[in-house]
Amino acid sequence: MKLIFEKSIPGRIGFSLPQDLFEDVRWEDSIPKEYLEHDKKPLTEVSEIDVIRHFTKLSKYNYGVDDGLYPLGSCTMKYNPRINEKMSNLANFVYAHPLSPPAMVQGSLEIMYRLNEMLCEITGMEQYTMAPASGAHGELTGILVMRKYFIDLGEKRNKVLIPDSAHGTNPASAAMGGFNVVEIKSNENGTVDLESLSQAMDDHTVGLMLTNPNTVGLYDEGIINIEKIVHSKGGLLYYDGANLNASLGIIRPGDTGFDVVHLNLHKTFSTPHGGGGPGSGVIGVKNKLIPYLPTPVVAFDESSNSYYFKDVGEKSIGMVRSFWGNFSVLVKTLAWILSLGPDGLLQCSQASIINANYVLAKLKQYYRPAYDRYCGHECTLTGREYKKYGIKTLDIAKRLMDYGLHPPTIYFPHFEPYAEETIMIEPPESEGKEVLDDFIKIMINIAQEAKEKPEILTSAPHRTPISRADDVLAVKRPILTYDDELKLKDELGYQEKDIKF
Amino acid sequence: MRYIPSTEEQQKEMLKGIGVSSFEELITSIPEEVRLKRRLKLPPALSEQELEEEIAHIAQKNADFYSIKPLVGAGAYRHFIPEAERALLQREEFWTCYTPYQPELSQGTLQAIFEFQSHISRLTKMEVVVPSIFDGASATAEAALMALRLTHKDKIIISSLLHPHYQEVLKTYLEPHNITIVKLPFQNGLTSVDMTRQFLDDNTAAVLIQSPNFWGGIENIPGIAEITHNHKALLIQVIVEAMSLGILKSPGNMNVDIVAGSTQSFGLDLNFGGPYNAFLATKREYIRQLPGRIVGETRDKEGKRCFVMTFRAREQDIRREKATSNMCTNHNLNVIAADMYLSLLGTQGLYQYSLLNFKKAHFLKEKLLNSGKFSKSFSYPYYNEFLINYHGDIKSLQERLIENNFLPPLLVTQFYPEEQFKQSLLFAVTEIFSRAELNYITDLLSQ
Repeated sequence: MKLIFEKSIPGRIGFSLPQDLFEDVRWEDSIPKEYLEHDKKPLTEVSEIDVIRHFTKLSKYNYGVDDGLYPLGSCTMKYNPRINEKMSNLANFVYAHPLSPPAMVQGSLEIMYRLNEMLCEITGMEQYTMAPASGAHGELTGILVMRKYFIDLGEKRNKVLIPDSAHGTNPASAAMGGFNVVEIKSNENGTVDLESLSQAMDDHTVGLMLTNPNTVGLYDEGIINIEKIVHSKGGLLYYDGANLNASLGIIRPGDTGFDVVHLNLHKTFSTPHGGGGPGSGVIGVKNKLIPYLPTPVVAFDESSNSYYFKDVGEKSIGMVRSFWGNFSVLVKTLAWILSLGPDGLLQCSQASIINANYVLAKLKQYYRPAYDRYCGHECTLTGREYKKYGIKTLDIAKRLMDYGLHPPTIYFPHFEPYAEETIMIEPPESEGKEVLDDFIKIMINIAQEAKEKPEILTSAPHRTPISRADDVLAVKRPILTYDDELKLKDELGYQEKDIKF
Repeated sequence: MRYIPSTEEQQKEMLKGIGVSSFEELITSIPEEVRLKRRLKLPPALSEQELEEEIAHIAQKNADFYSIKPLVGAGAYRHFIPEAERALLQREEFWTCYTPYQPELSQGTLQAIFEFQSHISRLTKMEVVVPSIFDGASATAEAALMALRLTHKDKIIISSLLHPHYQEVLKTYLEPHNITIVKLPFQNGLTSVDMTRQFLDDNTAAVLIQSPNFWGGIENIPGIAEITHNHKALLIQVIVEAMSLGILKSPGNMNVDIVAGSTQSFGLDLNFGGPYNAFLATKREYIRQLPGRIVGETRDKEGKRCFVMTFRAREQDIRREKATSNMCTNHNLNVIAADMYLSLLGTQGLYQYSLLNFKKAHFLKEKLLNSGKFSKSFSYPYYNEFLINYHGDIKSLQERLIENNFLPPLLVTQFYPEEQFKQSLLFAVTEIFSRAELNYITDLLSQ
């Protein structure tokens, strides 16, 4: 559809100014002319209703959890409760400046303090930092904490072990932390191959980054041995919390020996994804790692009966972002935990595990699972049976859109020979049985279509605002701003119908 | 539980459908000895009404910040946010969706990002814009890492007037990579250009300058650019107060190579420090070394113009440990907020707002100086923040301001412990202050 720039009409305004424009201030004398831009920078000229209609229309070209099933594997697209939004939008929170005197922000500090206590209990850890802004940011923070710990011990460790099924952020974060990455192969059960792990784990190794259940949705039954192997060489165990939704009240990473845990509050803890953030990737650690956490953490002073920011000390890795954390996300998280309570949290994981296994059971004869066993909160199917009809998993995903659903995660995880053409489905607890039954029916229909009229898949989607987009063209002929487009105006030759829809 | 729709009966049916008789059978792969055999020790579930009261009660322990206008900025600025933006951000389609991996269902998000990139490109006069890094500090660190990749050198020179948190974060990010960080001293409220010349050598990957700097000072960017480029190093301009872009010369017109800019001022609330957002803007030739996501224009099968995430081969989900960054989830909703904000303000509005910030800050500083209770810290060009020395008791100044519903200016000794700054206050003045309020503040502080 048309860009806001294309709706611009000279002279229109969408803002209001105060009457007093301080015209008596002789501002030109206060600044060298060459520091000022000669002309006003051209943005847009539109009125308020133009902006309202523009973005309302844009929003209709999106699909969110409120529109229907959003079964992206390892993303935990669950319902984002409205009350949590309201709570995080209370004026006393929203307008609080981060550098306010502590006495004026006791409420904000209490939120952070209480959340720390609850997350410690839920995961079996001993202290959280609220600083990291995303899961990957939490990983980097955790990696740096582990690095500092070994430097402090005087040990030279230069590599991190990561299963081949891991999220791409794991190796990328380890590399940003200055480490080499050693990939550990998965075994035929889809879990960590203990022999490979034993061979790779030595006293030059920082440890292992693991998701549990892992990215194919399977609990690692070897977790006790994994812990022994890593710890016996003095290494540390890092828990990627992307899949914690399968574990609430059932198993705690801290009890299985994990030393560092990051949580994606925008996954398990119901805060919205916002089309790619902001979320929060808080990390929790065991006691021995607390001195290395980013500074500061919130503490409580008994004598003055008040909360304050405590400097972590000289061993701290330092700061990983400006100020203290993605605060509004923390409010929503606390609100969610308080709404569910201990039993609700357990029910939440139970329901998500039942959901995923139900989908797996009903679809496995149509889409061969990567591993035929019970799964955690997500299941990994594959579309490989349909290759012979000229159908790729991508086509199946696009066809789902014609039925009004968002597709699952596709092509992840990807490793031979088990996990290729993967379709990873995560139906969180906020999806009821009848929603899943519909989804199952549609997936079976599509399987039929793949055999009988494959072209309806390869040409899908047909009912979305646009049809398949040309990714290759986007790289070959980069247009990254409206001005890029204007430069290519003649070559592009857009007709009205191409941009107005 | 109202967030879990399936009834017990339905769950039983599902278990039957799976072919098991109990939930326990599904989780046999979790070894018995590591399972949690007790209930989590958490408060019992609250009803929605109880929850609302509970959180509202905690919020009451904060000051009534809506009514308290901050005279402190230092990386977080209170600007007015139009209601049209707030209302539009309530559209669930923008905030209950995931990263736009499926363009057919995400054109709303993708086009808004593209528009934001276009806006920032025009404001900075840079060709390529990464729309979302977490905040200005992490964007600064990513910009430095990018410069190191581009130049294959190992020294970074930073201004001591770079926001202290940004300095800290940069240090944290670079620590594992054996990089020398050299800090430039300041001179009369600005980064010393002479010292920049002295510190620069052929091992220097980049010079990082914040402008307007931590004390609001507008730096001599063109001068620093020239000497930086003489050593084939890159100049990174950090922008913390994006409102300044409305009137100040664009980085691209001052030969800056990479811009790392917080967009907190473009329609984001203070929120006790986050979530904010920042962009990276640079030259087209550096595109393959960019961290994070970027959106590009393309066509669909019918030839319609549409938008996709592009140049993805740099990213962690494809390149893993060889990716340019580990960035995955970013602060995308705040990109959309900024696109809305900039669309509403437009050409005229951003200029006028930006100018008003400048004028009001200069108005207050002049008044304070005339009161006789303050003296200049430096003579320097500044934007909407300024450092000034107070001759009275600082504690009582802070109390007087708080009593009158103003958040006091920053006492800079917490970041710059030098003796000369013992009485120095960093004021921030945005468009939200009226003349009457600024006069009142002057009266209060002249007593």
